[in-house]
Amino acid sequence: MLLAMIAALCAPGRSTLGQSAASQKDASAAAQDQNHVAGASAAEDPWARIPGKVVVLIFVRTDCPIANRYAPEISRLQAAHATDAAFWLVYADKRETAEAIRKHDREYQLTLPVLRDPQRALAKRAQVSVTPEAAVFDVRGHLVYHGRIDNWFEDFGRARPAPTTHELADAIVAAVSGHPATLPSVPAVGCFLSDLS
Amino acid sequence: MSLPVRNPLVSKNFRDFFSLALAALFAVSVIGVGVCADATRSRILAPPGRPPHQTAPAADVTFNRDIAPIVFHFCAPCHRPGEAGPFPLLTYDDARAHARQIVAVTQRRYMPPWLPEQTDFPFAGELRLTAEQIAMFRAWYEEGEPKGDAKDLPPAPKFIAGWQLGKPDVTLQATKPFLLPAGGTDAYWNFVLPLPLAETHWIKAVEIRPGNNRVVHHANLIVDRSDSARRQEPAPGDGFPGMELQIESEQFDPDGHFLFWKPGSLVTPEPATMALRLDPGNDLVLNTHLQPIGKAESVQPSVGLYFTSQAATQFPVLLQLECDKQLDIPPGEKNFVVRDQFTLPVGVELLQIYPHAHYLGKDMLATARLPSGEEKTLLHIARWDLNWQAVYRYAQAVELPAGTTIAMRYVYDNSRDNLANPHDPPQRVVAGNRASDEMAHLWLQVLPFGADGETSGAAGDAARRSLEEALARHHIANNPDDFAAHYNLAALLQMRGETPEAAAQFAEAQRLRPGDSTVENAYGAALLAMGQLPEAVEHLTAAVHARPDYFDARYNLGLALARHEDFRLAAEEFRAAARLNPNDSNAEANWGGALAAAGDLPEAKTHLERALLLDPKNAMARENLDQVLQDIPH
Repeated sequence: MLLAMIAALCAPGRSTLGQSAASQKDASAAAQDQNHVAGASAAEDPWARIPGKVVVLIFVRTDCPIANRYAPEISRLQAAHATDAAFWLVYADKRETAEAIRKHDREYQLTLPVLRDPQRALAKRAQVSVTPEAAVFDVRGHLVYHGRIDNWFEDFGRARPAPTTHELADAIVAAVSGHPATLPSVPAVGCFLSDLS
Repeated sequence: MSLPVRNPLVSKNFRDFFSLALAALFAVSVIGVGVCADATRSRILAPPGRPPHQTAPAADVTFNRDIAPIVFHFCAPCHRPGEAGPFPLLTYDDARAHARQIVAVTQRRYMPPWLPEQTDFPFAGELRLTAEQIAMFRAWYEEGEPKGDAKDLPPAPKFIAGWQLGKPDVTLQATKPFLLPAGGTDAYWNFVLPLPLAETHWIKAVEIRPGNNRVVHHANLIVDRSDSARRQEPAPGDGFPGMELQIESEQFDPDGHFLFWKPGSLVTPEPATMALRLDPGNDLVLNTHLQPIGKAESVQPSVGLYFTSQAATQFPVLLQLECDKQLDIPPGEKNFVVRDQFTLPVGVELLQIYPHAHYLGKDMLATARLPSGEEKTLLHIARWDLNWQAVYRYAQAVELPAGTTIAMRYVYDNSRDNLANPHDPPQRVVAGNRASDEMAHLWLQVLPFGADGETSGAAGDAARRSLEEALARHHIANNPDDFAAHYNLAALLQMRGETPEAAAQFAEAQRLRPGDSTVENAYGAALLAMGQLPEAVEHLTAAVHARPDYFDARYNLGLALARHEDFRLAAEEFRAAARLNPNDSNAEANWGGALAAAGDLPEAKTHLERALLLDPKNAMARENLDQVLQDIPH
């Protein structure tokens, strides 16, 4: 039910609900884009793709300056935890076309598989409210953390030269190690999903 | 920040005429003589009134009627394609897609970026929202972002594409782009732009185009008349890193201009009477603050120059207060206060103000205590943010009478509460040029005026020199090791003909920077003027040693040696000078004169003739040639 509403960009030759002719063309264009060829037939389902793995969703939008400044850190986190966790970049603005997203990811050198969440079903399940914000699900699919990536930004216009706490990395490590407790959510600073119609 | 070291280092054309009779005269050129011009001044006791605030928001706030005018005026200049804003705010849909964000950033006064509080004198182009305007955004959001009646929508703002002032007379572009990485801390980069001018030009306007508005947070353009920046480049055009740029000018022409760019800023040319002089060989140096945005970006700035045929008649001064010596901030200190104050020896018109600190700065206050005892606030920034630093131009010039005391009071926060603190955990911080050091500077652009109120002409010149001298003495009192202050004071004293006092100040400057070519040359020239020949030769030799291609030092050393009657050695120095500047008639004439004095009449004749070829009016060359022709045996 839920996953049927998510339009995935990653897998070639797949159609999803509500896809227009244009986005089908995008999807086949995506096949040529090595960054987005995931090679999995059920790519639109982050949980079905690699069962038994920790899942990390990072919510972004192409025009959110704070989310964009995080691009190198998002790539770094994925590289550091790729063996233990499946990372997904989730674009929550339905106005953002597949083409615009691919262009954005090329520019920001983001190589994570991408999902679109135009109805914000994933955002709801992940309990996130801004971009950039992350959610970590344990191997059983339970939400164990949602919130900021780290404490780089404390508020609009109030940023540290570098973060001193790393909530997302800590949550991934905890989830991978099978830590049973759910980590407290730490609110993120960024662009509000509620601004999206 | 990046400006010339205080007021431009003063130095004179220390070259001199030298005749067979060794009659030397020490030429002092006069600066900026011209006609007077009107200037708008606001009387300090009657600051201009402000327009009444907008009324409280109506019950039903709509985009078209209430929000669009604010967005178009305050947001759109940056929030449009190609500009600094990360998303456009030009339409209803744009504003709606960021409505809650707009409410959040305006309530925190993070946007629009405007640091000064409302105080006694308004600035041009203020971007401060009223409380009512901020409440209006909130009401609009809470009411569900109604669009409103289409007929209420004001016309979309019009922006000029490309150069705002039209096609420049000359465009300079950085040779090599700077590549800003996707992430990491902010970068500070200096681009050196050589001037492609064959003769002196007066510049009525300068337009800075940073080349990448998304990442350039601010930029300062500085005129370098002494190749000082060029020498810091590994290879020509490479540029070089650095938050603070020190340019030392060896010329005494008051470079009292701010050439500043920040996102969304309109180009505001200064009055034509304050045109900027640029000479062949000058460089323009653009000091930029760059902030990574998540993807790698290339930055290749360009600068447009607009000429005028009118030479400047008004010469503003950049008056600096500073407290760098007081900066020794213990870790954890939340309220570290520094102060400086300076009493004006002459009246001035205050035109612009530029506060500067690094990441620990918190609260900045600049005041003026008038001779009447009344105190006015010139600037107050209650929440300093280095990212949004700017030069602020007063809406109307502020007149400050002689005897006014200008004071600065800066507060620093070196605790963990200051998120911008570059150190974690906090560390002791002192003054320095790195981003992790601190600074306490306040610059005021002022036009000094004489007792008759004139800012131009001889009265303006005298007022300016009086101000420069008081400033130099103030800086020496603040910091006895202030090289630039000693140097400037020396040069001013020398212009007044007080050579022994000037030499004493040059000696102080030389003590602080022994072996520095500029100061060794200036000190040597002063000693030469006083007739202290062995000492003059010693320091001029040091200048030549430090910089063998330094024309003035070669020339002056030639003069000193000649006066010491070491004519062979003198001829060698004039030869070197003439090679460095083959079109200098005086170097040729003196070369010939030294050769003649050494007894080499045929060679002397060659160079004296060449001097006359270069300048047929060179009277001393003519006189000496006549003498040589008489003396050559027929």
